[in-house]
Amino acid sequence: MLTVTNLIKELNSGSVTVTAVNDISFEIPEGKFAAIIGKSGSGKSTLLGLLGALDKPTSGAILVDGDDITKLSDRDLIKYRRDRIGFVFQAYNLVPNLTALENVMLPMEFASVGRAQRKARAVELLEQVGISAAEQTRKPSRLSGGQQQRVAIARALANRPKLILADEPTGNLDSATGKLIVNLLHELARSRKTTIVAVTHDLEIARQTDLTFQLADGKLAGQGSHHAAAAKPDRPAEPVKVRS
Amino acid sequence: MSTVSRGVRNAFRNTIRSGGVTIILALSVGLALVMLLSLKTVQARIASVKANLGNTISISPSGFSNFSDANNALTTAQLDKVKSLPHITKLVESLQDRLPTTGSPSFGKLGGDSSSGATTSLTSPVKLKTGGNGGGSGAGGPRVFIRGGGQLPANFTPPVSILGTTDPTSLNGQPITIKSGSTIDGSKDTGQALVSTDMATKNNLKVGSTFQAYNATITVAGIFDNGTNLGQGDTVIFALPTVQRLSGQAGDVTSAIATVDTVDNLASATTAVQNTLGTDNADVQNAQQQITQAAQPLENIKTVSLYSLIGALVTGSIIIFLTMLMIVRERRREIGVLKAIGASNAKIASQFVAEALTLTLSGAVVGVIGGLLLSNPVLRLLVQGSATADAGQVGKFGGGASRGFTRLIGAGGQSLQSLHTVVGYDVLLYGLGAALLIAILGSAVPAFLIAKVRPAEVMRGE
Repeated sequence: MLTVTNLIKELNSGSVTVTAVNDISFEIPEGKFAAIIGKSGSGKSTLLGLLGALDKPTSGAILVDGDDITKLSDRDLIKYRRDRIGFVFQAYNLVPNLTALENVMLPMEFASVGRAQRKARAVELLEQVGISAAEQTRKPSRLSGGQQQRVAIARALANRPKLILADEPTGNLDSATGKLIVNLLHELARSRKTTIVAVTHDLEIARQTDLTFQLADGKLAGQGSHHAAAAKPDRPAEPVKVRS
Repeated sequence: MSTVSRGVRNAFRNTIRSGGVTIILALSVGLALVMLLSLKTVQARIASVKANLGNTISISPSGFSNFSDANNALTTAQLDKVKSLPHITKLVESLQDRLPTTGSPSFGKLGGDSSSGATTSLTSPVKLKTGGNGGGSGAGGPRVFIRGGGQLPANFTPPVSILGTTDPTSLNGQPITIKSGSTIDGSKDTGQALVSTDMATKNNLKVGSTFQAYNATITVAGIFDNGTNLGQGDTVIFALPTVQRLSGQAGDVTSAIATVDTVDNLASATTAVQNTLGTDNADVQNAQQQITQAAQPLENIKTVSLYSLIGALVTGSIIIFLTMLMIVRERRREIGVLKAIGASNAKIASQFVAEALTLTLSGAVVGVIGGLLLSNPVLRLLVQGSATADAGQVGKFGGGASRGFTRLIGAGGQSLQSLHTVVGYDVLLYGLGAALLIAILGSAVPAFLIAKVRPAEVMRGE
């Protein structure tokens, strides 16, 4: 369960203070696939960064399974990012001089998982996301965008997190590949009971999620829920019903 | 893949940059190594010279010259006062003379032959060019120039050097090795002598053989090894009282060397000796002062080496610092990703330190090889440059350009050309240590910057 309460994030740029996230509150139950939508500059990515403990809020609370991550020490924040969440980025952000396999093994190395164990798990995850054995030994530059994003998803799953945060996961992909990635995320949410929060500006993707939160100027402008998408991810979801 | 191996691989991520950094670092490390080797070599030589000559005082009659008849010798009685001075632990007194070979044409003014007219049955092993203009066309040996011109007769042999000493275990400050027989007691007039291996060979002498000197029969007590030293080869060593008696110079001494207990007391002891003997009677010279003056060129090399070493280390650190700074700035996003997926600051920093260390060690390996190859040529250049620059200064008290310097270098029986670097494990360890130091210094600030990178950097431009 992810609970956000009165979350505020102010950004200072010289003498100007911008409220990027303005008093947002919402809940996402465990195992749901939620989308955060909104225009550029609406605060989507800032919100995602706060959920992933990449940045600290000005005020408010973020409860993950009952623990307020805004109050964690730096050391506990590292553990939180390492063990409880997985990140998927629009630009994939794989380490360029590591192979696909080594990229997936990386978070497990940080969690002090034994080499043999992390290799076996990385291979398993890569196979699950459809990366062949030959592709596993390639560096990111020799993989297509879709393949890189699959590797990134496998990396996000490496330490078996309960929460996956995806920032525009299909932003750099063609629509067909993007659809495959969304289906993959749906499958993860369903089969592993992993909560997924994806930032997107693609309403088609948003329609396929269980929950949708719309941001405008840092505020929560509305939220909606869908039920069919979780069961049949290939089928387009119902139009988003925005509730203010 | 471990943090370290990831750092190592990252070091070669950009081969052009890594190659450039390696070459520049190699120059820096190579220079540091060359300077370290030069520094150690010069320090060792200075220490060696000081150890050999560091705490002695030379005493000679005032204005004394071996080649003059007009000198008043010091006396044993005068020097007895020196023996009793504080801090004087040893006093070696000697009386020098030269005896022409019986039957050899007299050249009394050549080499300060004995004024008593005494001769010896010994023939010097030293060969001179004889029978030609200016001594030029005879067979073998060095050319001799005669005061006022003239020629050496064909049957001329150089005089034999006689040394009466209270310490027959050394000659000209260098210990001698007895090849056969035994040494003599320098304080007793026993009528015995030590001859060199060359002298013994030339005159068919063995232990127990006799020869004539000062119209007296002398017994060979021992034969010492003169090696290739021509000056030692023509010297016959007696006990001081024996030469004083035979030459009719009872109580006379032509030179003495006093040993002081520690170098710290050298200056005060020198003053005390000078005051005891008086400036009119004796010239007193402190070996330490001579060394300090003569060692100036080596000190210059030492200073140049030290500053160059420090400069090379600082330069290497700056190169690594700037390189790592550039790398960290370039990879802010990657650092953010690593933090976002759970890496600690220490893990990331250690990866970058490993990367810096790899670059540094690559440069160090190339630099060490280059440094080892270039150390001797560079040291020679430093020595030549320093000796040339110091020639005028040394000339003031060395008797000629670079003579003092050469004398210093030669003090241990070694020549200027023999000054060469020696590479030991310690130097290689120093090199490795220097590389580590460069890597740590150079990556310290970038490591700090890594800690400052916020994980949210990864969201930039997303």
